[in-house]
Amino acid sequence: MRKRIILAKMGLDAHDNALRIISRWLKDSGYEVIYAGVYNSAEHILRMVIEEDAHAVGLSFHGGEHIFYTAKLIELFRVNNLNHVKIFVGGIIPPKDVVVLKEMGVEAVFTPGAKKDEILNEIKKSLSEQA
Amino acid sequence: MKSTFMTDYDHTVGEKLRHFRSISGIEYKRIYDETSWNKKLPDAGEYPYTRGIYKDMYRARLWTRRQQSGFGTPEESNELLKFLFKVGQTGINIDSDIAGKLGLDPDYPLARADVGLQGTSMCTYEDMLALFKDIPIEKISSTLIFPPPSSAVIMSQYLLMADERGIRVHDLSGTIMNCPFTQLVGPTFQANTAFFPIDLALKIGLDLIEYLLKTVPRWNVLNVNSRNIRECGVNAVQEAAFAISLGMDYVRRLLERGLDVDSFGPRIGFFCAVHLDIFEEVAKFRAMRRIWARVMKEMFKAKDERSMRFRCAVQTSSLTFTAQEPMNNIVRAAIQTLTAVLSGVQSVDTTCYDEAYCLPTEKAQKLAIRTQQIIAYETGVTKVVDPLGGSYFLETLTDEMEEKIWEAIKEIEKKGGFIECFKKGIIEQELNEARYKLANELENGDLAIVGVNIFRSEDSASDIELFEHSPDMQKKRIEYSVQYKKRPGRELTYKALKDLYLFTKRGGQGNFVIPIMEAVRSGATLQEICDAMREALDYQIPC
Repeated sequence: MRKRIILAKMGLDAHDNALRIISRWLKDSGYEVIYAGVYNSAEHILRMVIEEDAHAVGLSFHGGEHIFYTAKLIELFRVNNLNHVKIFVGGIIPPKDVVVLKEMGVEAVFTPGAKKDEILNEIKKSLSEQA
Repeated sequence: MKSTFMTDYDHTVGEKLRHFRSISGIEYKRIYDETSWNKKLPDAGEYPYTRGIYKDMYRARLWTRRQQSGFGTPEESNELLKFLFKVGQTGINIDSDIAGKLGLDPDYPLARADVGLQGTSMCTYEDMLALFKDIPIEKISSTLIFPPPSSAVIMSQYLLMADERGIRVHDLSGTIMNCPFTQLVGPTFQANTAFFPIDLALKIGLDLIEYLLKTVPRWNVLNVNSRNIRECGVNAVQEAAFAISLGMDYVRRLLERGLDVDSFGPRIGFFCAVHLDIFEEVAKFRAMRRIWARVMKEMFKAKDERSMRFRCAVQTSSLTFTAQEPMNNIVRAAIQTLTAVLSGVQSVDTTCYDEAYCLPTEKAQKLAIRTQQIIAYETGVTKVVDPLGGSYFLETLTDEMEEKIWEAIKEIEKKGGFIECFKKGIIEQELNEARYKLANELENGDLAIVGVNIFRSEDSASDIELFEHSPDMQKKRIEYSVQYKKRPGRELTYKALKDLYLFTKRGGQGNFVIPIMEAVRSGATLQEICDAMREALDYQIPC
């Protein structure tokens, strides 16, 4: 079965260079990508995950809003029994926040300079463990 | 420290480049001589301004040091501006947070987590007063980074502030960016259209231009944001072609309003990127000057030389920055700043090395200003006009860039011009292709980045000090905007908003700045004003 991944930017930051690139790489690797684009709220992502029965969510951040939105989304997933949906985060994330995000339950955090293979392998590995 | 080569260099035979192409793909020759280029150049200050738009360039006046700034509350940003002047900034460049650019107040639910993060939070007239407290706006020029409709609100606040301080409009100088297509992360469609109808944003932008032409004689009414276009990942040729085509579209629309080309020509500027391919960048700026001069003179029949001068502010590229070994970015920014100066630009913002992580610290801001001062006062490159002019290589490359940029402009024109291409998604498609190509070039090493795809150290984690916002900043701003709108005695505000709503509802016959200015004067917030127009058109925004 093809894995479905929702790619999104949350809040008001619209720096989407990386999200566009990742989207193409994932499609080229056989994933079904649902491109949610920019300006998403956590509630909106939650609805999409339910409607699309997504396996994973990829979030890209740029301006420092990563902790707020990731925490909010994880909480919504918990309340809605969606703990199996994996969350990947990428973007401009200060090193200490990478640790915080992982502790919160994010599968992997990709920061600038991350290589294509590294990103794809990580996602593949993590989704293959999924039931 | 373990170092890895991701590319296939062989240490035993010495290092060698993989190719000799420019970043935009021009194949460089081994050497250039008089068989490549053998022409005469007009003096600097003479049409078509290849060597610079003024005769004496930096001998007469150095470029303006204009660091983009703003974070947190307007009060915090006011302190930052004062600090920047103390270390040698010479112009103001105010960046608001994204909410401000999108016409949202801090208490809007989707705005809350972004308040004050990427620029200063501002939504009320009192915020404007706080931001510019003790700053002599009659002496210092200000660039205000806002697209319409926010540009009309913020400009109104600025003019009311000047009036309240008793400053004559003749003494005000500065720039309102005022372009609805490029300000939010370059010309990406969704980013620029989700919060306001693009056609109305364009009309308000043009209305503001017309208003400012008549009322504020020295104000620059439009700045085409070429840099944000470039930072989406396109190359130098595309950057120049997109920006100039967009500029042409504005000129056409202003002419359609019956305005004289020489009434607005001298008051349009550009804001460009400076990338790392030194000669290609210098050639780009020289080619852009020539093309804009010809467009204004030949296509639009400008007679005033000031209309033909391609005035250009720059910010060094953030896209070239790396999170790996961030101190390397100091070197990149210095090279790009030097490149900008060798290109003869009018103002420079040197991006701070820590911006690969966050907003800059004061230490990094100071270093950026010092970088410009060292280039200005120590290197000697400012003592001669167009020091690289006449170089066989540079002149050949300038001709080649000019030709390629023209070709790309013609393609856009054939499809109806930039604005039409933006609306049809053609621009978006080109951006996405460019981004993918750039990513592949980084992957395969065709575009070499030290510390990332060559000479990468696996333990390159940052140990630089990072900027942090004050912990209660967002909460304070959200609370402020909530309370502000609960103030008693807002009848006049509601009346002004109703007038703006009706003005919009009836088709906006006339200049939008008039009812917007009234709403600002009556104490309406940025979002209240934008919402009045959104509601009139029943425009739904993300929530």
